[in-house]
Amino acid sequence: MTKPASIQPVAGAPFTPGRKPKKAAPDTSPIEASSKLSRTLVFVGLVLLGMTFVVPFVWQVLIALTENPSEVDTLTRTGMPPAIEPGNFAKVFQRVDFAKYFFNSLFIASWATILQVITCSMAAYAFSRIQWPGRDKVFLLYLGTLMVPGVVLMVPNFAIVLGLGMFNDYTGLIIPAAFSAYGTFLLRQFMLTIPSSLDEAASIDGAGHWRIFSQIILPLARPGLIVLAIFAFLFNYNSFFWPLILTKDDNLRTLPLGLLQFDSTYGPETNLIMAASLMAMLPPIILFIVLQKYLVKGIQLGAVKG
Amino acid sequence: MIGTPKKRLGIAMLFLLPNLIGFLMFTLGPVLFSIGMSFTDWALTKHNPYSDESIRFVGIQNYERLLVGDESHLFWDYFWNTVILMIGIPIGIAGSLGLAIMLHAKAGPAKPSGRLKGALIAVVVGAIACGAVWLVMSPHAAEAGVKSTEIGLADMDQQKVDALRASFAVLITAVLTGVVAIGLAVGQVFFRTIFYLPTLLAGVAMFLLWKALYRPQGGMINAVLQPFLDRLEGIVFATPMMLWYVLGIAIVILGLAYFGLSMARGVRNLSSGDAGPAMFGARVILTILLVVTLVGSGFVATQLPLIGLFPTEKPAPYSQSRAQSVLEELPDQFPALGDRAHVDSALIAYLAPRLDEQALRTLLEDASQLHDGTVPEETREAWMSLGSGVMSEIIVLFDKAVSDEERAEALDRLKIDPLVRPALQELDGASLREAAARRVLVWVDVEPLAAALQTLVPEADAKELNARLLDNAIYRRGLSAGDGLNAPAWLIDAAWAKTALIVMGVWLGVGGGNMLLYLAGLSNIAPELYEAAAIDGASGWQRFIHVTWPQLAPTTFFIVIMSTIGGLQGGFEQALVMTEGKADTIVLTYYLYNLAFTDEFQLGLASAVAWIMFAIIFAMTAFNFRYGSRMTND
Amino acid sequence: MAHVSIKSVAKVYEGKVRAVDDVNVEIADGEFVVLVGPSGCGKSTTLRMVAGLEAITEGTIHIGDRLVNDVHPKDRDIAMVFQNYALYPHMTVRKNMGFGLALRKMPKQEIDQRVEEAARQLGITDMLERKPKQLSGGQRQRVALGRAIVREPSVFLFDEPLSNLDAKLRVTTRTELKKLHQRLKTTTIYVTHDQEEAMTLGDRIVVMSAGRGVGKVEQVDTPLNVYRHPKNRFVAGFLGLPPMNIVDGKLAESDNGLWFDDEQGLRVRMEDRYRDQLISRVGGPVAIGFRPSAMSEWGEGTYLPPDGVQNANRITVVPRVIEPLGDSIDVSCECGSAKNIVARLAARADFPTNQEVHLSLDMAHVHLFAPGEFGENLIH
Repeated sequence: MTKPASIQPVAGAPFTPGRKPKKAAPDTSPIEASSKLSRTLVFVGLVLLGMTFVVPFVWQVLIALTENPSEVDTLTRTGMPPAIEPGNFAKVFQRVDFAKYFFNSLFIASWATILQVITCSMAAYAFSRIQWPGRDKVFLLYLGTLMVPGVVLMVPNFAIVLGLGMFNDYTGLIIPAAFSAYGTFLLRQFMLTIPSSLDEAASIDGAGHWRIFSQIILPLARPGLIVLAIFAFLFNYNSFFWPLILTKDDNLRTLPLGLLQFDSTYGPETNLIMAASLMAMLPPIILFIVLQKYLVKGIQLGAVKG
Repeated sequence: MIGTPKKRLGIAMLFLLPNLIGFLMFTLGPVLFSIGMSFTDWALTKHNPYSDESIRFVGIQNYERLLVGDESHLFWDYFWNTVILMIGIPIGIAGSLGLAIMLHAKAGPAKPSGRLKGALIAVVVGAIACGAVWLVMSPHAAEAGVKSTEIGLADMDQQKVDALRASFAVLITAVLTGVVAIGLAVGQVFFRTIFYLPTLLAGVAMFLLWKALYRPQGGMINAVLQPFLDRLEGIVFATPMMLWYVLGIAIVILGLAYFGLSMARGVRNLSSGDAGPAMFGARVILTILLVVTLVGSGFVATQLPLIGLFPTEKPAPYSQSRAQSVLEELPDQFPALGDRAHVDSALIAYLAPRLDEQALRTLLEDASQLHDGTVPEETREAWMSLGSGVMSEIIVLFDKAVSDEERAEALDRLKIDPLVRPALQELDGASLREAAARRVLVWVDVEPLAAALQTLVPEADAKELNARLLDNAIYRRGLSAGDGLNAPAWLIDAAWAKTALIVMGVWLGVGGGNMLLYLAGLSNIAPELYEAAAIDGASGWQRFIHVTWPQLAPTTFFIVIMSTIGGLQGGFEQALVMTEGKADTIVLTYYLYNLAFTDEFQLGLASAVAWIMFAIIFAMTAFNFRYGSRMTND
Repeated sequence: MAHVSIKSVAKVYEGKVRAVDDVNVEIADGEFVVLVGPSGCGKSTTLRMVAGLEAITEGTIHIGDRLVNDVHPKDRDIAMVFQNYALYPHMTVRKNMGFGLALRKMPKQEIDQRVEEAARQLGITDMLERKPKQLSGGQRQRVALGRAIVREPSVFLFDEPLSNLDAKLRVTTRTELKKLHQRLKTTTIYVTHDQEEAMTLGDRIVVMSAGRGVGKVEQVDTPLNVYRHPKNRFVAGFLGLPPMNIVDGKLAESDNGLWFDDEQGLRVRMEDRYRDQLISRVGGPVAIGFRPSAMSEWGEGTYLPPDGVQNANRITVVPRVIEPLGDSIDVSCECGSAKNIVARLAARADFPTNQEVHLSLDMAHVHLFAPGEFGENLIH
């Protein structure tokens, strides 16, 4: 920028560098002055990172649509399958009893979720809303077992399930998952955020414990219940170790086991494997998209307060 | 509180009981039960309704066996595998923090109207770009009917290859456009969702995807990597090997020196009071990250010639006639191999021609012992895994044959070796599959498999077999060894398998719960702190070091504890699904699984493994609390 | 309608921590009684014991003629307004107000009628179908009030119901509360930490303290009596703003009577009529207390004590800070051993600072306390 002669410094007067017009936009503070550049950079960064998370899934879809397993190699060289074959998804169902696996997973995960939400919400009510002798000690026990690694429980639980005659049975997969110290803890934390004056008001209004639980606390803890339900569902849906050691029959296999079995049998047919895994990923994705806002809050609640 | 304590206890119990029963039965009870079990020799093969042997209390014998006794070499191997795989944890945490900071920063247009406008513009620009890409890349250059000269594309004409490439480029452009447009319209939530997706889907399905991504041949990662390596090839081969060593060692020394300097400076700052413990903690963690990266890359540089990037030797040629003759001699020499020779003989037939007489003898003795039941565990596992691989291939070939006649017909058609045939005919497809699936270690190197199959099916459709095998994995290494710089055979090569699992782990977890926790932590930092720091003249980096990091210390503390606990227990599913424990990827949980739920069902010993893991976790957590919580106190 | 009598009530938590001790308050039918005190004094605990939300460890509480120690809150015929209003967030205003009635199996028609009547009285008719989240603080407060009113209980309990409102709203709501009480004439127990609320609302106020390690009732009386005749040093210091000036010193006898003397320049002669009460304390430690408004500038029209002893009530202070309040000024000054005496004087623009000034004390409003935080008032 050239300065007009009139504002040239008078001879002898010190030159003031502050004269230069400032670059900052009129209504941004100096802190935010650089934000346009940084906004762009951050956005570009996010897009690039986002692509690294999206592209593998795109590739998965392309493979799942490839007609012939031998063309997968072609696909990696050209990027596209020579021919699109949507029939792969149907083929998966023909090869193995994929529908049964799907049903098993959804059935087990749903029941485990429902039962867990019921037992945990009731227990959380007892821990958060009722004062009873020994409460804190019992809760400490719950908390303590959270520290015990899951693998410690695997072996004895296997023996117990075996002893109860629930081996190789739906009950063996559902019942142990119907109780959760973590879920109790999570819901208790959630219920503690509900002001105790609400149940006091209800109690003055004439409500007993069951009514306070069902009509006041449960509706208010709904976000927490949803969070637990998502966690429980996802956990049981993806659960691998437990069904692996507890099932024997093909018709009891859950999706993860079915997928593994499918992979070891049809491993070379990558197109079918990808079609199968793609279908297996659908329920969590749908669940997540629908309930995203609860899930994010829940993770933060479960951890930050813990 | 309303009511007498007794009455309240009663009501509370009504609410608590359903959960408490389950808790006692499946959580607290098992914990106590498990301690007891770990001091016994309980194994289901020995102690079951059909045997009257009683469970014995063996004191600390299980622990002794694992830590110093006959199981100790396995235990410590697997322990170190677990620890090495945990390298991904600090990397992942740093990544989570980075992503969280990016998600928390302002990005894209400031005004909502600008966002929508931006999204519209992105869609329009993207559409134009798609068109442009198609025009540039579309197959107008080549004449129809000209065969592609590229390896692997031999069957297609050049025009089709070009068309496919062009449409792929258009697809990727479209995806990119979508990401940009949705990112603009929806904002950070969209990116948060994308980053979280892998965590949400983590499970067998996701591991199968990565298994496919990692395929040396036909996997996306190497498809992207190989062209770069091909370009690098000239440079690397032109460089004297010595230079790589020197370079690598120099980087290692540099890294260590930096570590020393940085630590010295940190301690000085700490003792002079210039910086608090939080700053020191930040310095330690950041320095360690940097140094691990430096030393790691230096190490890789010195190892370049050794880790399979450079081929060392060509595999020995395969002689079918020799294999055939070995096969024929087998039953006479080793009657013990007898009826289930169909699997092992195929392998022996493959391996035999490549071994000298002495080695062959050892091998055959091993195989024989295998069936006497006198073979060491490791050898047996190796055999089993090889065998299962062959079996699963056979299953694929036979799957559609259901009835006895059909099966016989298929065997006829495939001209199965008469030696193998009786064994195969006995089994029906389902039980064969079942048998294969029950085996944990299913994967087999494809190269021996190919050879073995050719023995079994001498005149099978060579093209089909080849396609199958080409697809399967390591074959490429065997075929192309010696002709250039090759991308790693990720999950198959023990030198790379852990790296592969770590990379996948970081990708899976970086945008997960930890990122969300950091996001929550970031939004809890009072903006006034940044404003004050800005007024005090702190640069962006200084603001991070003096405001963000100390404020996030409690979050980091929590994340570190939870991640180490998770990391020590993790790795089982990945290894089982992706490598079947091959390539030195067995972790402690996997070991526990092997002990407790396969073969001998040694529940007592497995419980001891679990409790050793608990002790380690407990010690680490205690250590974190003792030293880590100092970081969070200021 | 009922009277409430609280007799020797104490609350002990977990068999160890004594939160409230020996509370005795008789509340007449239709009376408005305010429990006031600093935090931790057990005022809320006491109220919650009346409500039945806390078990009563010792003593008895009667509502009407019924002993309610073991009666469930819902059967005590009370209604309570909570500090945070405790509105059920997932119910509409109508549901919130009618919940208690519905639980009592009242016909729906009657519930509606009562809810609408209460809503009309409180001016919240338009908001009946909204949820609490959509209401402002003041509106929520009304809903909470409405919920209590529809029940037509014999006792209203308020637990700091105004403390979540902003200052201006608090004052107007306070007036409305008082009007409401005048109309309904329901016995009311009201807990607050705000002395202004206590003074303005209560027919009588109960001042409680936590200072002795346990919540205790210090004084029960009408607001004016408590203000004018505080029973002890705690009550004196707790009520009034700015608080009463209290200076420790000694009681000394000199030729013309009994003097309070802090031995650093603050000397005040006690009126002779208290001589008999005070004579035994001569030579011992005492504390003098006088409210900021009990002082005026020494000069013309200066108040002289009835016994007419010159300078008996003249104190010398050094003003440090002047805070103009409009009609009056608050002058913070040093006086004898006291570093911060506040005097509320008639406004004057040129009030001098940092030099000695004489003030006169209205001896009718001077108190003398026995030593200690809870020293009893020796002359009133």
